[in-house]
Amino acid sequence: MLRLVVCIKQVPQVSELPWDPDTGRLQRELAEGMMNPACRFALETAFSIREKVGAKIAAITMGPPSAEEVLREAIALGADKGILLCDEKMAGADTYTTSSTLAKAIQSKIPRFDLILCGSSTSDGETAQVGPQLAEELDIPGVAYVDDIEITGNKARVRRVADQFLETMEMELPGLVTINARSYIPRYVSMTGFQAAFAEDITTYDAAALGLSPEWIGSKGAPTKVLRVYSPRMDKKNIVLTGTTKKIIGSLFSLFDDRIGGIIGKDLKTDKKAK
Amino acid sequence: MDYNPSLKSKSLRKAVRMFAEAEIGPIAHDIDRDAVFPWDVVVKMKSLNFFGLQAPKTFGGAEMDSLSYAIVIEEISRVSAALGLCLTVHNSLAVYPILRYGTDEQKKRFLPDMVKGEKIGTLCMTETSVGSDAAGVETHAGQEAGAYVLNGTKIFITNGLVCGTALVFATTDYQNPRKGSVLFIVERDTPGFIVGEKEDLCGMRANPIATIFLENCHVPEKNMIGHPGDGIRLCLKTMDAGRIGLAALATGIAQAAFEASLRYAKDRKQFQKPLSSFQTIQNYLADMATDIDAGRLLLYRACEALDSGRPFAGEAAMAKLYCSAMAMRIADKAVQIHGGYGYSKEYDVERYFRDAKATEILEGTSEIQRIVISRAVLSQRA
Repeated sequence: MLRLVVCIKQVPQVSELPWDPDTGRLQRELAEGMMNPACRFALETAFSIREKVGAKIAAITMGPPSAEEVLREAIALGADKGILLCDEKMAGADTYTTSSTLAKAIQSKIPRFDLILCGSSTSDGETAQVGPQLAEELDIPGVAYVDDIEITGNKARVRRVADQFLETMEMELPGLVTINARSYIPRYVSMTGFQAAFAEDITTYDAAALGLSPEWIGSKGAPTKVLRVYSPRMDKKNIVLTGTTKKIIGSLFSLFDDRIGGIIGKDLKTDKKAK
Repeated sequence: MDYNPSLKSKSLRKAVRMFAEAEIGPIAHDIDRDAVFPWDVVVKMKSLNFFGLQAPKTFGGAEMDSLSYAIVIEEISRVSAALGLCLTVHNSLAVYPILRYGTDEQKKRFLPDMVKGEKIGTLCMTETSVGSDAAGVETHAGQEAGAYVLNGTKIFITNGLVCGTALVFATTDYQNPRKGSVLFIVERDTPGFIVGEKEDLCGMRANPIATIFLENCHVPEKNMIGHPGDGIRLCLKTMDAGRIGLAALATGIAQAAFEASLRYAKDRKQFQKPLSSFQTIQNYLADMATDIDAGRLLLYRACEALDSGRPFAGEAAMAKLYCSAMAMRIADKAVQIHGGYGYSKEYDVERYFRDAKATEILEGTSEIQRIVISRAVLSQRA
């Protein structure tokens, strides 16, 4: 029986969240949480592995107490257990402290895992770093942006599309994959599954239970700091070209040759000079 | 008293909404326009246990409490009231009475298929001359060795065309129909159980509401729920619980109409300003939001009363009365806010308007709800 760990994250449900212009922080309290879409694919991939070769699936997340919801959802969808890493000291983590905390929790609480599945990226952070960093922390092979996976013995054959090539790779287990995937369509929560999920216990660990020093987790341990978050301003202006057709075309190219060149894939400036 | 929805309630709403918006949303408009029952989606709903919402786990159900049940019906109805109606009639008026009043043998025989949705349920009460005066039932149940022979016509039967198991209300006694009232479980393939044409109704058009003819339909005695004479009491008790589903359905329609109005009021510009900047429209939206909240609170109170085992008939009737009238008010305002577009079949608010009206009529008209409420009120000490 394989032991699979699926890392999931609760993200804000709306794409355009109001943010505080003074601090540059998102006003997360105004949003409802949901399971990060790519994590749904990771979970569904785990289910497909379980259907083929049998597996126990643990869903793990680091987050505030409200993140319990995505673990319940994971159980409702079919995960066997949910683990919540929750501590005020873990708040404000960057991708490094997130992956090192996850690594520590997996090492100490699920040491005999075979495969870790993560979503390829999250819809809020979009860094796509946590999965690969987690593989690094645990010193196991990791492949990102995986579309499909097949497990035979202690080897996993993974497939991904990269730069329009189809890559097939083999890796030894235990390993980690981040799932990109449209190969498995995520299922919906069934009503019986939902009821069962709320009858289950969620295991919660704080920093002390994981033996983590407050210096090394959350915002305190994070080597990166967010200096500023802002929406880029797009200034638009209307330009009306007048004159004869020839003159209009001439001024069109002199005003926009960079952009037109970009679209048709030609360096118009150099061409002009060459002539 | 906690007015904040629990994590469980919030999650359930999200989970059902995700399914409803993704799977029913894209077809909700078309199935109403074309008056078709969306089997493709219903098949998915079956596998997600929407047909066994409150049935016990032993029968494969989700064993939900009434509050959860109301949330599910609300969310499905918010997207398609016709499908919400299919679910509430199946779960509340067909599965529930068998579960609550049926024998163990009947439960084992009928519930597994119904809970799986393999057999969609319905309750046949209304007749051409018998509406609110249910006890005046004219469908006759004649006795014959070990069986009853049903003859009569049932109209406006929700899920009629697609039902697999129907509860049929009849009487053994023409002279005193109340005294001889009986309730049977009848399988669709029983000879003499004839499903007629789909009714051409104003709203709820995607629900295959139909007439059902009973022509010398032989039903074994063991299919009777309760005893001869119990029929009317069992039907009325079933209706008491069914009102929660109906109130939830109405609330779902109202919610959809309100959200459409909110979106439209923010988008639509007249006199160079969005509609939402005009005080009249602001007042409409404020009234709508208040009205929906009031209805929802009445509904959830009725759910709580039912789940805690207290008398709930008055509360459920209040919720049904209020929520159905509220849905009508909200849909009316929604059409008004949308103006000419609201009156157009191209927009969904006109569907909400037609669907909302049904909730004031079916499963006990608003007039009947007032009788039920007045009984509860008058039983109090003055």
